[in-house]
Amino acid sequence: MATTVCGVSISTRRAVFVKAEPLRPRQTHARILPLLDRGVRCRRRTVLVASAPSTPPDISEKVSESIKKAEEACAGDPVAGECAAAWDEVEELSAAASHARDKLKTDSDPLENYCKDNPETDECRTYDN
Amino acid sequence: MMVCSLYPALRVTTPWSCSESHLGSCRKQLMFCVSRRKARRRAWTGVSCSAETRTVVIGLAADSGCGKSTFMRRLTSVLGGVAEPPRGCNAYSNTLVGDATTVICLDDYHALDREGRKEKGVTALDPKANNFDLMYEQVRALKSGVAVEKPVYNHVTGCLDPPELIRPPNILFIEGLHPLFDPRIRSLLDFSIYLDISNEVKFAWKIQRDMAERGESLESIKASIKARKSDFDMYIDPQKQYADAIIEVLPTRLIPEKSATEVLRVRLVMREGVKHFTPVYLFDEGSTISWTPCGGKLSCSYPGIRFFYGPDTYFSDEASVLEMDGQFDRLDELIYVESHLSNLSTKYYGEVTQQMLKHADFPGSNDGTGLFQTIIGLKIRQLYEQIIAGESSHGWKREQLRRCLRLSPV
Repeated sequence: MATTVCGVSISTRRAVFVKAEPLRPRQTHARILPLLDRGVRCRRRTVLVASAPSTPPDISEKVSESIKKAEEACAGDPVAGECAAAWDEVEELSAAASHARDKLKTDSDPLENYCKDNPETDECRTYDN
Repeated sequence: MMVCSLYPALRVTTPWSCSESHLGSCRKQLMFCVSRRKARRRAWTGVSCSAETRTVVIGLAADSGCGKSTFMRRLTSVLGGVAEPPRGCNAYSNTLVGDATTVICLDDYHALDREGRKEKGVTALDPKANNFDLMYEQVRALKSGVAVEKPVYNHVTGCLDPPELIRPPNILFIEGLHPLFDPRIRSLLDFSIYLDISNEVKFAWKIQRDMAERGESLESIKASIKARKSDFDMYIDPQKQYADAIIEVLPTRLIPEKSATEVLRVRLVMREGVKHFTPVYLFDEGSTISWTPCGGKLSCSYPGIRFFYGPDTYFSDEASVLEMDGQFDRLDELIYVESHLSNLSTKYYGEVTQQMLKHADFPGSNDGTGLFQTIIGLKIRQLYEQIIAGESSHGWKREQLRRCLRLSPV
């Protein structure tokens, strides 16, 4: 039963999580998870997530600024080195924003962070059946 | 881990110090040659302490936004443990440290920071923006067991931060834009991988990454890709001819629409003749096989799965290609496919499936990207074990005997 609950809770989280996106080259993986009936590590706690994490505002601002600067730099001469360097900066900042979002996603659960350092405590014990 | 073997000895002669140590720890130990006189016969025996002194270096080359981080997380998971940023010091460190692995991002070796690149009008893809001499020196030092102070490039501020200490690990991954660019660094790599993402798929991934969250406009994404394309084609793309394994990601052929990128066709190109690396094959090594697993025994949902395996040439070198088109929908499809692949270097039946399920939330977990990345991880594990086993059994004993015989007997 606990296994089913875990499966359902994870896939529910996924359903809440995902916003409407125009192109999804990768499908959600929730369908594989509910079939893990045997030998699944099931945590005794359920994870509640309120909303999808967004980009930290400072990085988000930097990305917008860099896009504006790149558009200005390329307005004059689209082939010049400055234009390429400006768009490269946009790409770099977008990648940094994406990593920051992923980090927020993985860091969102304080219990997970605590259990990483203290796996032997009562709250963090896991049982494999 | 240190293993010391002691042979019976009478006297210790000149100790031979193995290697110079610069800054920090040197993991190699001293070796001694001892002489043992028997009645009319002088036999050399050796005393040696051998440690796991060899750092295996793996290179991963790919453009930005092509899934290097996901690949690294899968690889470090297969090799044991979780690789995380080093505690303390710099919150923007790009390095990941695990139990047996360390991942270094080659962006840390930028010679020019963001302002410098803007002034000179070069992108980060240009070799002029990178310090290959320092990269080579430090990778060589780490490979020989010497800790280094590696610079840190902060991707948010675009500046070079103070350096951080990196200790030599068992397996060192260097990932970035140019691991295969400099021939000196290429000579240090024990294995190299190139992630070759086709333009359509790269565009779709960047749209997903940048537009979904904050609505970056389609035009800005297109302009960014177009502006970087010429540098990418000139400096990054040619590296694939030097890689030992190439993972190509292309749009599917199973769906008739021309630009379908929701489902991926992934090809794993494995060069022949690479030391300690045996390619994965389907049914019969060296044959050309086309396999559709969906049918009587296995039912799949649209568009299904198709496999292809066969020998090929890649940049005029012999290679084997394993291709998967489509995606996994259910657990039993994954197990079914794994049971028909051979030479996976797994330690038990179902290891590939288990690794894929462990990271079911990673992108690519239901298609060939996740499958081939996991397989490459297992291959790297086998390569590492063979290198270490080879060195500890043959190399060291041969080396110490050679050095013992050179020293004059006392």
